[in-house]
Amino acid sequence: MTNVKAAQRAGRALDAEHATDDPFAAAIRGTRMPIVITDARQADNPIIFANDAFLGLTGYGREEVIGRNCRFLQGPETDPATLAQVRDSLAAGQDVTVELANYRKDGRLFWNQLFVSPVRNDAGEIVYFFGSQFDVTARRAAQDAEREHLKSDIHVRARELEAALEQKTSLLHEVDHRVKNNLQLISSLLLLQTRRTPEESTRKALRSMLERVGAIATVHRRLFQGGDVQRFDVADFLRDLAADLAASARRDDLQLRLDLEPVAVPASQAAPLALLANELVSNALKHPYPEGTPGVVTVAVRRYPEAFDLVVADTGPGLPPPTERNGFGLTIIQLLAQQLKAKLVFEDTQPGLRAVVTMPTPP
Amino acid sequence: MSSEPPLNILIVEDEVLLAVELQFIVREVGCRDVGLAMSSDEAVELASQLTPDLALVDVHLQDGPTGVDAARRIACDCGAVVLFMTANVLRLPEDFAGACGVVGKPYSEHGVKLALSYLETCLRQGQAPGPPPIGLHLSPAYQRRWGADYAMTA
Repeated sequence: MTNVKAAQRAGRALDAEHATDDPFAAAIRGTRMPIVITDARQADNPIIFANDAFLGLTGYGREEVIGRNCRFLQGPETDPATLAQVRDSLAAGQDVTVELANYRKDGRLFWNQLFVSPVRNDAGEIVYFFGSQFDVTARRAAQDAEREHLKSDIHVRARELEAALEQKTSLLHEVDHRVKNNLQLISSLLLLQTRRTPEESTRKALRSMLERVGAIATVHRRLFQGGDVQRFDVADFLRDLAADLAASARRDDLQLRLDLEPVAVPASQAAPLALLANELVSNALKHPYPEGTPGVVTVAVRRYPEAFDLVVADTGPGLPPPTERNGFGLTIIQLLAQQLKAKLVFEDTQPGLRAVVTMPTPP
Repeated sequence: MSSEPPLNILIVEDEVLLAVELQFIVREVGCRDVGLAMSSDEAVELASQLTPDLALVDVHLQDGPTGVDAARRIACDCGAVVLFMTANVLRLPEDFAGACGVVGKPYSEHGVKLALSYLETCLRQGQAPGPPPIGLHLSPAYQRRWGADYAMTA
């Protein structure tokens, strides 16, 4: 109680220094801004002055607040870290502005935008602390509502995006499915007609087309198998293609050698590269091989830092005479090499022919 | 193998040109095509009537994406081994609906022939002669049944 009396005394002394006609004092007493002044020189820094706005905000009577430390406004939601920030600033003699959960006399929480600054005497000692309060509960509530609104907005958007993605994925599957089925249909049509065609030359042409469609079909079958839809594994494809072509060529006399280093190309290059490889390998498999010598067809991929070689070599009769070098197959090979920006070299290896396609690897 | 009766094969495919081509292939590898179904009901009915050794089943049939369901009924109720032939490999259930495996579309004539010959050996010997050929993927259950799961440890 002596504390309270001391505080009341200090308050009266402060009052006495500032008569009722002191315009600054009148402003502090009458302003709508809740204000307290505490006595820094008394133990536990008690309130010695509180204006009507402060009493109105907190619901306490003047006699209930004079002589008490401001902590009676704190409660369960008051953040200890924010309190520490206030304490540290005041200990360092500095101003501080924080937002603090405080409680009215009736227990209702309000958000207090608190500003505290030290007041010094002529000697530079801190004698008072000046504290002003501002009720920002409504603004905080609006912010919270806004945040909740944004959060639920985000949820709605996320759900919409998920649904859209699911739709796109199933559309992709559907398109992929149709492409594969249609390629299968084209293959079947060509095969069915091949079976009914008596002329050898027509049948050969149909077989060649079937192989080309088959090469594209193999690309599509492989494209969606890996995790990466954008990249196409050349070695895996060649293994598949060479086995298929060797089997359909029905050349038990031939030996197929594969020496494939792993190389990936963008999916957009898969079909032209596949067609190019198909022509080279299928040519090699069609050569007549001299009786008694074992025919060997080698398919190799060699990787360099900025390019890779696709090598198709055989032990056949070598380069045909120039007059026979104008087949449709060769045209396809040259056009596709141009499209792929690949360098194409045929070497007569006597015996045999060696085709080397050098293609830049994408970054 | 020549002394044994040919394998009876039921084709379940709603695309008639593919079905006809499959019939050719089946005959060319020395098997017998016993029937063609284009819908799931037809497939189950033919499977129980004809008791084929093997049924080649597409996922999309005339009555919709009912091939998986049809495969399950054929495998469970009719005792036939089922092989999926589909472009929808990724959409197959994890247990393959009781099927022994899948050949992905677009397949090649040669790929199907290799798969059929391989499965014929598996069916006759109850054991895989080696890892499955390119293009044929066995279900986990059948990998174990035919001892073909060494492919995973190799």
